[in-house]
Amino acid sequence: MRNVNDRSRDIGAFVPAEDDELLICRCEEITKGEIRRAVHDGMFTLTEIRRYLRTGMGLCQGQTCSKLVKEIAARELGIVLAELEHAASRVPMRPIEMKVFGNEKEPGKNA
Amino acid sequence: MKRYDLIVVGAGPAGLSAAVEAAKYGLKVVVFDENANPGGQLFKQVHKFFGSKEHKAKIRGFRIGSQLLEEANQFGVEVILNATVAGLFQDKEVTVRINDSIQHYKGDAILIATGAAENMVPFKGWTLPGVIGAGAAQTMMNLHGIVPGQKILMLGSGNVGLVVSYQLLQAGCEVVALVDAASKIGGYGVHAAKLARTGVPFYLSHTIIKAEGTDCVTGVTIGEVNKAWQVIPGTEKHFDVDSICMAVGLSPMAQLLKMAGCVMEDNPKKGGQVPVCNAYGETSIRGVFAAGDVSGVEEASSAMIEGRIAGIAAAEYLGYIDKVTLSDKVGELESALNSLRQGMFALENRGKCIEKTEEGYDVSLHLLQKGYFQEQEVANYPGVTVQRGVHAVIECSQNIPCNPCQDACPKHCIKIGERITSLPVVDENAGCSGCGMCVAACSGQAIFLVNEDYENGYASVTLPYEFLPLPEKGERGWALDRSGSKVCTAEVVKVQTSPAFDCTNLLTIKVPVAMAMKARFFREGSCHAECE
Repeated sequence: MRNVNDRSRDIGAFVPAEDDELLICRCEEITKGEIRRAVHDGMFTLTEIRRYLRTGMGLCQGQTCSKLVKEIAARELGIVLAELEHAASRVPMRPIEMKVFGNEKEPGKNA
Repeated sequence: MKRYDLIVVGAGPAGLSAAVEAAKYGLKVVVFDENANPGGQLFKQVHKFFGSKEHKAKIRGFRIGSQLLEEANQFGVEVILNATVAGLFQDKEVTVRINDSIQHYKGDAILIATGAAENMVPFKGWTLPGVIGAGAAQTMMNLHGIVPGQKILMLGSGNVGLVVSYQLLQAGCEVVALVDAASKIGGYGVHAAKLARTGVPFYLSHTIIKAEGTDCVTGVTIGEVNKAWQVIPGTEKHFDVDSICMAVGLSPMAQLLKMAGCVMEDNPKKGGQVPVCNAYGETSIRGVFAAGDVSGVEEASSAMIEGRIAGIAAAEYLGYIDKVTLSDKVGELESALNSLRQGMFALENRGKCIEKTEEGYDVSLHLLQKGYFQEQEVANYPGVTVQRGVHAVIECSQNIPCNPCQDACPKHCIKIGERITSLPVVDENAGCSGCGMCVAACSGQAIFLVNEDYENGYASVTLPYEFLPLPEKGERGWALDRSGSKVCTAEVVKVQTSPAFDCTNLLTIKVPVAMAMKARFFREGSCHAECE
């Protein structure tokens, strides 16, 4: 497998496309063009793209867009899908308000 | 912190099956589900399932769901709803959001059965209200009693797209077209055929160019694609629709397993990122199991068996049963699971072009491209015979794991044999009584009773009918052929309903003899209205 993380790799220049305005991450309103441009800005992994653009960090937590972002990034990098690792999974799996997240209770006490 | 022997995440078919099985051996089991109701996707499955008796074939999905809940209740499984598992940690601790708090639970074993989420395809206008997942449409209709729209275009010809399209028709919606970029229908031919004969047109090698509308969907434009998936200019077609449903596959929701540190793999045949599991569904972390769509997208029947296997394995892992019992119990389940994974739609055949059945019959390309057989093709299959008097005509042409028709016939006219993927063979000497049990038993609605000697010059055709209102005896209307085209006028001569048919009504129509092998659906409506 090629080293996907090799930043010296030439992926060519960003070429604007007709569908760049297409919304991909609906929750954070990130377009296809922004994702493609992020790759050319040096974001070669999905975790980096997520931190750079906030793709998949909204209400649905990437349920809808993570696969789409992966496809767009892989195509831009010129690699096959399997070469691109999924973004990290972290707690909380679902969006939870901080006041709830910080409110720990003994199981069964508030049932 | 509260402790359980087994913590199950997800109260769908896999999770509940695992919980029931583990509880049978004495494990203290809790099941968390983020939804308000248990059952996962089972309660919106209003169609009859495929498989054989051991897979609960010909039983409608929601009834299987009720059975599972009863079992869970009976064995003392605790099901906690509106409980969102937010995290899974390596030491088998889970954090659960319940109401406005986070609670910690620890299991000696964990089973993740979180299922899968629907994929989407982005096109111009895909974020307009009215563009929804097919699964979402099914939830609206079958759980909440709300139709998603009146005129709908379905994208995706896999079983989900086909089954949901049919259910949309049953709910009274119009399905204006079924579209797929692939050149062949991905789901079962029988599911496609039951749509086609109601008149739903199939557009294979087509994709959505754009959804139209400013505040919501008012229309859609599709176009034909070439081998490079590019739209061929000049092939654009417009439809007025208020909804677009997408049935373009599912992705496993395996994030909990990944965050716990399970070894994952990216496997397109399984739908994406899944945990690496052994034959018992155990991940790389001892005592952490996965079952159902989360470990590879399949369907509910296999998810239930995977769940049972993992539940038994968890019992062995915790010392409730020994290794011999484990291998005995799992052996039976594995053979049931394997039989579901045979045939043309098996994992290893995905994406392959299969031209012949296991028996050597030609696969109908017309069926795979248009959704229905050409008339001359039908006679090729072993379920289609020419006989005097009433007899079953089985338009089943693909090796799919399903055999209820064989058990349904009290006269033993229908033979499938040991291999449940084999095509049904009609035995001409067995003497069909015309009882119609096979018609109602066929989950694919592919069996008809034909009697070419019904009356002088007239034949009768008995067909499965799952629409309301039910036509009445004496009613006149149109006979439609396999493509949904009107071929002649028809009179309803018999309407049969029975608890044994489980809501599949049998409609017998009278048509001219020449139409006996053409007429496959009935539509009410007077001839006068049509002529005007």
